[in-house]
Amino acid sequence: MNPKAVYKYCKHLGCCEACCLRYIGIKNPDSYEHVDSFVTIYQDEADKPKQTFEQNEDLENGNDNSLKPEVIDKNVTNGDSDDLTNLPPCKKRRIDVCISCLGVLQEDKRFDSFSMVKNVLAKKKYECATFACALSAPMATLLRERAITLRLAEEFPGYDDKTLTALKEAWKWSFGVQLAAQINKTLDSGAVSPLLVTLNYDYADDMQELEILKQVSPQLFEERSKQKRRFVTEFTRRSVEQALATASLAALQAAGGGLPTASVRALCVGMVCAHAPMYLAGRYIKLSRNLPQSPWILDKKRVLPSSVQEIIYKPLADFYNMDEEEADRRLKLIAAGREDVDVRCLGEGRPFAVEITDPTRQLTADELAKACQLISESKEVIVKQIVPITREDLVQLKKGEETKSKTYEALCIKLSHSQFDDVSPDSPVKVTPEDIARINSFRNTPQNSQNSLNNKSNDHNDSNGDTSDEENNANTLDANGDSLNASPDSKTTKTDIQNTSEENQMAKNSSDAKDIDATPEKNYVQVAEAMDTSLNSEKCDNLSDVKIVIEQKTPIRVLHRRPLLTRTRQILELEAEAVPEHAQLFRLRARTSAGTYVKEWAHGELRRSRPALRDVLRARVDLLALDVSAVHLAWPPPPPPPV
Amino acid sequence: MEYNILDSIDLNDPAIYKSFTDRYFSKRYILNVNGIENNDIMLMFHSNRITLLCLAPSHFFFKKKDKYTLNFNIGKIDRLSNKVKGKGKKGGQALFPDSVICKVEWSDGSSFGIPCGMRGTLVEINENLIKNPELLQEMPDSDGFIAIMLSSIAITDATKNKLLTHEDYMKVVNV
Repeated sequence: MNPKAVYKYCKHLGCCEACCLRYIGIKNPDSYEHVDSFVTIYQDEADKPKQTFEQNEDLENGNDNSLKPEVIDKNVTNGDSDDLTNLPPCKKRRIDVCISCLGVLQEDKRFDSFSMVKNVLAKKKYECATFACALSAPMATLLRERAITLRLAEEFPGYDDKTLTALKEAWKWSFGVQLAAQINKTLDSGAVSPLLVTLNYDYADDMQELEILKQVSPQLFEERSKQKRRFVTEFTRRSVEQALATASLAALQAAGGGLPTASVRALCVGMVCAHAPMYLAGRYIKLSRNLPQSPWILDKKRVLPSSVQEIIYKPLADFYNMDEEEADRRLKLIAAGREDVDVRCLGEGRPFAVEITDPTRQLTADELAKACQLISESKEVIVKQIVPITREDLVQLKKGEETKSKTYEALCIKLSHSQFDDVSPDSPVKVTPEDIARINSFRNTPQNSQNSLNNKSNDHNDSNGDTSDEENNANTLDANGDSLNASPDSKTTKTDIQNTSEENQMAKNSSDAKDIDATPEKNYVQVAEAMDTSLNSEKCDNLSDVKIVIEQKTPIRVLHRRPLLTRTRQILELEAEAVPEHAQLFRLRARTSAGTYVKEWAHGELRRSRPALRDVLRARVDLLALDVSAVHLAWPPPPPPPV
Repeated sequence: MEYNILDSIDLNDPAIYKSFTDRYFSKRYILNVNGIENNDIMLMFHSNRITLLCLAPSHFFFKKKDKYTLNFNIGKIDRLSNKVKGKGKKGGQALFPDSVICKVEWSDGSSFGIPCGMRGTLVEINENLIKNPELLQEMPDSDGFIAIMLSSIAITDATKNKLLTHEDYMKVVNV
């Protein structure tokens, strides 16, 4: 392939100098920065002058023939088979609007776009010293490029259309370099610089010219127009590329050629400057039982005046001079899960990140410290540290939401006598040391290998002795009894507990069943069955540190927006403690697997969550207050090692 | 202890001791359904429009101490085969105010049906009633609920607004 010949051919078609270089395959940025001097090596002496004189005079003449196809083509190719036109060859040399780039690479008129960029940058004041630029060119340039490379391939056998230097690259090497000098920033690749300047070029005849693709690739566009709901517009960059990928020169020429003289040039109609998002990380402590994580708005009215999100946003927004509305649009809170409005989050707090869209700068360490201070002054939220992180770090945060366990502290109340209690039904309900021991030792998973039936539970089995369901009971009791044995405190009372429980059970069975939730046997069966299924499921195997496996139906409070499912969750640690000054209350510390509905586990949610705390105590219990005391996730990630 | 949980709530505030159903639901009543005296049902509306079907305390069911069983086969429909899919609860049995959810059959051969009282979709039957039918007698306004239903916002609001409130119900029942 002779570059000079290609140059000449493209020139004859009506390409600008830069596009000629593109079709030759020049990929050297400098060449595009200094096109006029560089192209001379491809020019014959005869070609060199003129151009500038002809340009103006031909501007008006060019206007009328935009729809007449192939004016130029006829004269350059062999021209034998074509009979569409008889126009004289007098216009073949005119260089008006480039037939390929539609003027995108033609030097004049750039000052408008430069000043557009400068204005926006002056307003936004990015501190970033580098920038990348991107071009959004009219789609007609794709059609035209294809029309030209197909012709080149015919004219120069062996011409590979991969030779073509992409328009956006050539544009970057000329426009980008010039822009850099104008805006006093270093041009860099989009992969490196976070600041991206995108220029949009509009070409008036864009859609009209693409119409011929419907002839070239009728099937594709028929399908698209049939599925109007899916494809809002017929021509998208993708659909045009699809149609062109398989197009032949013959097909294009039959449809009109795809290379009409351009009557108007593509104009830069808009530009967008955007900085890649930045991320900040921290942990928030929530001290209020009246504060949602995100604004709580019902029927366009605020239910509660503030939210964790807004408290964290406020100082950050101020540093970036964003008003509330803008902060809401440009800041995004990403947290490792969320607690209910009335649940506090204590300890080290809940991991979160804030995504800042189109930031003008990174906040300084001092500003971040100040932000923490301002947030903490709210008295409702405390953030001790905020650090910058990368987008990749966010993965850990999301993983934490789905996989990491959480520790809760709950304040619970015992509302009825336990079926184990050996007291008069009229006596006040009290949390007994046995209740506490029962909670602390309860488990429905095997603790270790030596989990065989012991005598006591066999006795129990015999005393009740009938159905196969009772087999399960025996197992249940065994697990329970075993762990009671294992508990260090009150070795002497353990048998008593069990004996009284049995007696109590019998007594209550026969007499008043009124204030009991259900008959004890049935309760047993339920628990046993719940356990049976969970123990059989593979998921729970080998989870040696799981104390209790529970099954939770989707809580009613979220059932309207989530599917109805039964989920298996684990309680990994459970510890109870009496509250000396309140006989009916007890504290609970529980570590649960991610996604456990703790409130529902505590009150049982109409038995939709089983086994619940009440099944452990055999008494009605409820939860008065709940705190998250730890979210077990290392966060924020450690800073990258110094380079 | 920093931020003691005991100090974080007002233990003298009676609101914190409300039962689960009182905390989250508002109760509405339909009396003498189908003209049958004391055929009274209670609908409990969650603020998210999930609705629980229960027997009202004034239902004649509670006066009869005979043994009973619950039958969820209503004509050709087996309420227990109800399945819902996805967030939209697709595939749930369609309900009309007269649709019977379950029949109470006494050992003396008499029986009555419990209608659902509103238009909507059946989301869930209280499966605990199958093994523990006594819950209906013992905890009618909590663990002994009959079914969970879901309807559109419009229907839920309209139904809720036209039914007897708890305060009005108490007045009616006490007279």
